[in-house]
Order: sequence, then C-alpha cells, then structure tokens
Amino acid sequence: MRFFTSFAKRPFLLLLAVLVLSSIFVISIANNAVLETDLDEYMPKTHPAFMASDEAESLFGIKDAILIVIEHPEGIYNPGTIEKIDAITVALQEEFDAVESVTSLTTADNIKSDDGFLEVEPFYSGKTSDSAISQMQAEVEANPMIYGRNVSKDGTATLIIAELKSDIEAETLQTWAGQWEGPENLMVAGRPVVEGALAQLGPKDMAIMFPLVIITMIILLYILLRSVRDTVLNMVIVLFGTLVSFGLMTLLNIPIYAVDTMIPVMLIAIGVAYGIHMHNTIHHLMLSYPDLSKGELATQSLKQMVRPIIMTAITTAIGFVALMSSQVLPVRYFGLFAAIGVLSEMLLALLLFPASLYLLGKPKYKRAKADLEIQQGKGTLSDKLQALLLRRPKMVVFISLAVLIIGIWGTSMVWIDTSFLANFEEDSTIAQTDQFVNNKFGGTSTLNIILSGDETDLFKHPEVLQAMDSMQDDIEKDPIVGNTLSLATFIKQMNQVMLEHEEGSYSIPDSQELVSQYLLLYEFSGDPESLEKVVDYEYTSANITVQLKSDSSAVLKDILAVVDSYRPVFAEHEIEVTYAGSGYKAFIFSELLLEGQIISLALSFVIIIILLALLFRNLHIGIVGTVPIAITAIVNFGVMGLLGIPLSSATALITSIAIGIGVDYAIHFLEHYTNERLEGSSLEQATRSTLRHTGRAIIFNAIAVMGGFAILMFSVFPPNRQVGALIVLNMATSALGTLTILVVLVHYLEKKHVFLPKRIR
Amino acid sequence: MNTRTTKRISVLALLLSFALLTVSAATPGGSEVMWEVYNRDSGDTMSANLIMTITNARGSVRERTIAQYRMDKDGVESKLMFFLSPSDVRNTSFLSFSYEDGRSDDQYIYLPALRRVKRIASDSKNDSFMGSDFTYDDMGSRHPELDTHTVLRKETVNGVSTLVVESIAKGDEDYPRTLSWVVDGEWFGLKKEFYLPDGTLGKTLTIDEYEAIDGIYVITDMTMRNLEENTSTRIQMEEVEFNQDFNDSFFSERQMKIGPRR
Repeated sequence: MRFFTSFAKRPFLLLLAVLVLSSIFVISIANNAVLETDLDEYMPKTHPAFMASDEAESLFGIKDAILIVIEHPEGIYNPGTIEKIDAITVALQEEFDAVESVTSLTTADNIKSDDGFLEVEPFYSGKTSDSAISQMQAEVEANPMIYGRNVSKDGTATLIIAELKSDIEAETLQTWAGQWEGPENLMVAGRPVVEGALAQLGPKDMAIMFPLVIITMIILLYILLRSVRDTVLNMVIVLFGTLVSFGLMTLLNIPIYAVDTMIPVMLIAIGVAYGIHMHNTIHHLMLSYPDLSKGELATQSLKQMVRPIIMTAITTAIGFVALMSSQVLPVRYFGLFAAIGVLSEMLLALLLFPASLYLLGKPKYKRAKADLEIQQGKGTLSDKLQALLLRRPKMVVFISLAVLIIGIWGTSMVWIDTSFLANFEEDSTIAQTDQFVNNKFGGTSTLNIILSGDETDLFKHPEVLQAMDSMQDDIEKDPIVGNTLSLATFIKQMNQVMLEHEEGSYSIPDSQELVSQYLLLYEFSGDPESLEKVVDYEYTSANITVQLKSDSSAVLKDILAVVDSYRPVFAEHEIEVTYAGSGYKAFIFSELLLEGQIISLALSFVIIIILLALLFRNLHIGIVGTVPIAITAIVNFGVMGLLGIPLSSATALITSIAIGIGVDYAIHFLEHYTNERLEGSSLEQATRSTLRHTGRAIIFNAIAVMGGFAILMFSVFPPNRQVGALIVLNMATSALGTLTILVVLVHYLEKKHVFLPKRIR
Repeated sequence: MNTRTTKRISVLALLLSFALLTVSAATPGGSEVMWEVYNRDSGDTMSANLIMTITNARGSVRERTIAQYRMDKDGVESKLMFFLSPSDVRNTSFLSFSYEDGRSDDQYIYLPALRRVKRIASDSKNDSFMGSDFTYDDMGSRHPELDTHTVLRKETVNGVSTLVVESIAKGDEDYPRTLSWVVDGEWFGLKKEFYLPDGTLGKTLTIDEYEAIDGIYVITDMTMRNLEENTSTRIQMEEVEFNQDFNDSFFSERQMKIGPRR
C-alpha cells in the first residue's frame, strides 16, 4: 500500500520506469523473438509411450510422409501423366534434402506369375506407348498392394509418397508442386502438411486479430468509461503487460510457441479489468465526496482497491499457473508467462491510476445517467435487480438449479476428441485435399500396431500370421479404415502369385516352411526394404500399418479397442502389442494435454477456494465464492455437450483460464460486501450498496472481456473461434452467476448467521 | 612472368610423361589387366559350400549355407544352388544359365514346400545376390568391354604386389567408378572399392583369405561392406573341388527337386 502511494506521488519516475522497461522489452523482442512451429517440440519425449513409439519407428523405419496427389479427370493412364509422375518422383528426390525416399507408380515393383513364369518388374517400363500403358493399367488393377492404395480405383488419381527424414516447409512444397500443374491437378497432403499449416495458421490469424482486439477494446472502453484519459491509461496497462510477458520470454531465450500467440489477446481482455475497477472507484469517490483533494483521492482509491485488485489478479494468475502442472513444456511456459503478464498489469494499474491523479489532476467524468439517478434518489437498475433478487430468492435458486441440471445433463454428453484436421474450415484446401485422398485412397492418417515377441522366426509361424490377418480383417470392417499392411499381407500376396491366383490362394499357407521359402524368395527377387518395414531382421517383431480416413482421436480409440480384443490371442504366442507412429503420438499427446488440463482445472478450483478462505479468513466465503465459477464450468461443459463441441486440449485450456478470470467478479462482490458489513451496514443496505458500487464495474468488466474475445469469433481459424465463443459464454455466466445466485446465497447465509464470523456482527 | 609460367608447365608435362612412361613400361594397360582377370582359369566345373553371413545396419545377423555347383561348357555357365540351412528353407534351390553371347540369363527357383519350379525373369546383373550385399555382377566376372580401364599405380597389399586399376563404366551404373587391386601375374582381385556417382565411396570388398586349389586361386573368405546402408555380407567357401563330372542332366529342374549331391 505504502509502496503504491509513494510511487504514485512521483509520476515522472513511474513514467520513466515504464518507458525504460518497455524499451528493454521491445529491443529484446525485436532481437530475440523466435517462433517455434515444430510440433515435435511439444512432445514429452521421455513419456514411456513416446519412447516405445520412437524405438519402433527406428526399427521399422516409420517416417512421416508427404503425399502428392496427381489427378487427371480423364484418367492417369496416358503418356503425359505417366511421364510427369516419373519426372516428379525423380525431382523430389533430387531437389529436397529432407526427402528420404519416394514411392510412386513409376518406382513400384510388381510380382506376377503366369504359366510358371515368375516376374518381378517395375510397373513402369519406361515406355509410354499405348500398349505399354494399357498393360501397366492391367497389372496395377490386378495387384491389391498398389490398386486402391497408390492408384485410385477409378484410375483418375495416383499418389507420390515422399518419406521425410527431416521437416519440410509445407508451403514450399505446395508452391513447388504448383509448377507441375496442368492438365493434371496436384495436391499436397499428409500429416506434415497439416501440422505445418496449423503451426503457421494459428499465429498468423492472431497477428490479424491482435490489432482488431485493440481497436474494439479502445472503442468499448471509451463507451463504458466516457473518458479518453482512462481509456489511454487502460491501453497502456494492457500493452505493457503484453510487453513484459513476451519481453521476459525473449530475454530468457525461450522460443515463442504457437499457443503463446493467444497471450496478447488474453492479456488485453483480462488487463482492462484492473483499470475499470480503479476507474470505477475513483468515479464513485468523486461522486460521494466531491471535495477530496487529488492526493486524498489517490490514497482513498488505492486503500479501497489494493486488496480486491491484487486478489483478483492472483486468482487469474492461478488459473494460468495451474497449467504448469502440464507435461507439455509449451503449455507450462504459456501458463507462466501469461501469469507474469497478468501480475504486471495489476501492478501497473495500481500505480498508474493514482499517479495520473497526481500528474493530470482530478478527472472530469461525463455524468452517466445512472449517476444522476443515484443523486436524485431514484432507484437505479442495480437497485431494481436487488429488489428482484431479494423478493424472489427461491426463483433465483430454482433457475440456477435448473441451469445446473441441464448443464450436468449436457456435460454427460461431452465427448472427448482431438483432431488436427478439425481445425481447418471444410472448404479450405487442406481439408478438401484430405477429403479427396480419403475418398480415393486408403486415407491420410496412419496408425502403426507393433507386435513384439522374443522368439526368433516367431513371425514365420502360420498361426501368428493368421491371427494378424484376422485382426486386420476386423480392423478393416470399420469404414474409417482404408486398408492395412503387414507381413501377413505380403505373404498372402506372395501365395496368390505363386499359386497363380488359384481360388482361395489369397491367404496364409499352413506350412511354416512355405512361409519361410516365400520370404527367402521375396528377399531375393523383390525389394528387401519393403519387408524391413513390416518385420524386423530376426522375425521377432512386426509392424502393421493401418491407413485411416480421419485423424480424430475418438476414431482412433475404436480401432485401439479392436486391437485390444486381440491381445489374448497374441499373448498365447508371448507377443506384446504396442503402438507407434506420429498419429499415435499425437493421440497420446492430446490425451496428456487434456488430462493435464482437467487436472489444472481441478487444481485451480481447490487453490481458489483455499485462497479465498485465507484472504477473507473464512472457509464459508471460500466455498460460496466459487459457486459462480462452478456454475460457469458446468454451463461451459453443458453447452459443449449440447452443441456437440468436443472436449479437446484447446477447449479444456479455455475452461481453466475462464475459471481464473470469472472468479474475479465474486471477489469484487465479496470484498465490498464484507467491508459494508464490517462498517455496520444492515443486510439490505450492504447488498444494495455493493450492487450499486461493484455491479456496474462487474458488468463493465464482463462487457470489456467479452468484447475483446468476441472478436475472435470472426477469426478464419476455427480453434480461435471456439476460444472466443467459449470465453464470451464463460464470462457472461460468471458475471450473471455472481450478480444473482451469489448475491442471494450471501444474503441468506448472512441472515442465518452462518456466513461471516460472529465478531463482525 | 610469362616465361616462368611456361617453364613450369613444361617441367610438369615432362614429369607427367615420365610417370606415365614408367608405369606403361613396367606393366600392362588397364584393359589388358581386366581381360587377364576375365579369362583367368576358374575350372570348367566346381562345387563348394558357401557360408553367407549377412549383417544388417542394426548388427543383426542372418547365416545361410548354400551348396553350389558350377559348370562352364559350350559358352554357357550353368549354376545350381541348394540351401542347406536354415532348416526351414532347406533344399530350396536355384538354377541359372548365363550365356556368353549376351542373351539374358535363364533362372529357375524351386520351393520344396510348394513343390513347384518357377522360372524367374531377371535382366539386371545389379540385382542383389541372394539378398546379400553382393550383386550377381560381383559374384561373377564383369565383361571388360563394359568399362574403360586404367592402371593408376602399383601397390603392395599384405606383402603382395598389386596393380590398382580404375574402371569407369561406359553405361549407367549404380557405381560408375571402381578401383580394383589386382594381384600382378595371378590376375585375381584382393580388394575393390565402389564409388557412387557423387564420388563418395559406396561399397568396399575385402578379401581376407585365398588359397590355391588344384592350381586355381580361390577366394575362400571375402566381405562386402555397403557404407551407405551400413550393412555387410561375408562369404566363406568350404569344400571347394574342381573338375568334377556332372552329367548333362545335372543342371535341370529334376535335380532341383532331388536335392544336392551327397
């Protein structure tokens, strides 16, 4: 308190300090800011599921692949298109260092057998005569290893698959693919493209949203506060908070992750609260005591507001700090630096407003209608609200309970799902390419099922291969599964070829010798590298690749359930079942993220209850104070359940942040109310005065925060829209809950003498 | 200034021509060497057991034993191979005929568990030999006309005097340049290096043991290392015998089904 008043008396020193700090941060941001777009950096690399996956990836050479789709509406079997496929295949390998290997129609080998003649030859002979091309078409259509996998069944599209050893800029590749357009259409798909676009879209969108939010906020603040001076002060506070957050991040050489790009919008929307409450108090003091000197006004306003503002800032910061329980490093940093930003905004709000009184004198506020009404002794809106609440308390409780019940019912319908692709508009290029590949080919997402045993040559046993085959059949029954590939698939194909397409020959033979001999033959005449992708050298572990037409985690869970039902079968052969691949890792990552966010949600609840109880030295207040945010959380999940919005890492993140912001309203209310009661106001008087005083500030505060986040609802980036909409919803619920059910609860508990301790009365 | 440069160049030219002269005076030309290698007596017939040890990049090992029979007759090289181990592929056999006149090889495979002989179409000598790091080319002898050969220098390898021959492929090859260390006078290689199109070393072949059997030098232990893939294959030869009697029906589908000679 003394720190704030003494600092406020030296406004120039304060200005200098703010300026010096700001310039340090600006310079640091300008020199050190690095945007980290690599999603691998988010992964908790020491997690057991990740380590197992990484090991399997290196054993079987499982790599992320970029898919280049070549479509010719009249069919790809013409000399121009075939030659183009060959040229692109060669150019990809030559021009991109990041490309490890390229598979296409022109590189793939065909094994066929007619009249006792076994042939291993590429589908593409290098010749493009009509007869050569129609022969190629016939061979492709006879080979299930390529037909429907690399070449669409209608013959209008084919895939060039480029496996990557390092990351590649999705945009670069898209531009590069553009040069091969016409008459064929070229599209680029695959997880690296989706991730790359996602990592770039989010921050890019935030860069557009940031100035829009600032402009909206300035307009809103001016309308609410009717003061250019206080609007400017507020903007200085929020921009300073953002600078501190990013300045410190860059000073400590921590890269800016995609999730951090949400910080500016959040800090702007949150930070105006402190200024609004300072403005509100100064305003009230001037109305009640018009003769206060500027020094007295500064001291008085600080005296009233230091506690509630520090408290609300701390609870908001807790909402963020609770994120540090996450296993995901960028989320931890996000929580930490957002919290630092919030706290610095709080500090500056407490310093700047009193200092502005010293520097610029008392503000001349335009009189609002409500102020005139109060002075004229007429009932204000807040008085009407109070009358309604106290006259009809049962109705308030009833409505609240009804909302709660609907909320809980809705919550029971919440489904958990994370999908990278769901982040794109349905008409975006990425979503449409994905759709195209899913329709024409096996799918853009992959899951690797890893079977591992100890015994050498285990995967030459016909029973083991048959179990794999039957599991693959079961998995393929799910319409979301495009196809599966494993050692069993190779053996079946080999058996069919060697038996010259005899009836029932597309199956696993019963003799282990025959399996071994097929494998030996394949090793000699096929390409041993494709075997290395499905089985290890000693035949002790195998990899089943499942091609999926969706990257949704809910879909993945269904597949995992089918696989799990085969665990007992594999256990008989002492085979362990695990999973691998970037799709699976993203799934685990999302689950971790979600789990972390649910933990931090619970954690922030507990911390806020304890904190409120400590601050008010009363456990009842702690519990009652969290009622509005509890309702907020339930309504939030209820709305998600009813509208079918899945609980994803992004939506869970918002809830825990909204809780930290939403509790502020309750704090302001409770602080004022207890002070009123301590000063001896009657029950009714205390409620009326509290509503008059803080009700306005709470509504202003809620409008400002909602206005800021509402802008996000116009974003082109769906996740940002969800963030915007959910925060608007949560702020509205929190404010409404505080001004209704909390008021009623406090009033009636106090009436029954169970709320405040006896010493107050 | 000008004159000095000219002088330097002429001295260099002199030195160079001396160097070339000394080499060419003492040794045959590259092409001659490789023809000697190609025509070296390797016996009209031969039988041996091959032990092939293939090591992959992770250090895992597969070992296979193969009984091999070879006959050179009337411009045709016939080869019959039977797997002796591992047991689940025992008696799997391969039969091949290579023709000196340049016709592409005829190859057959017999899978005992399937009891069927299949003809295999293969036109590439660059294919891996039995899934190893050796190609069919490496196992046989490459026709000297396919490359341009130059003797670079003389070198002593393990006390044996060799000629280092550089061979540049005339056509398109995986390894367009190779260096061979050929034993002077005996005309078999002791070492070979295979260079990739970008000039880096791709494969190395080292000969660890050789012996003269019936007056014919036989390499009994050699290892091919693929430096790109980090894999290697060691081939050891046992029970090498020359000049045996094979009747004409030995290199046949029938024999493939019967199995190796006892």
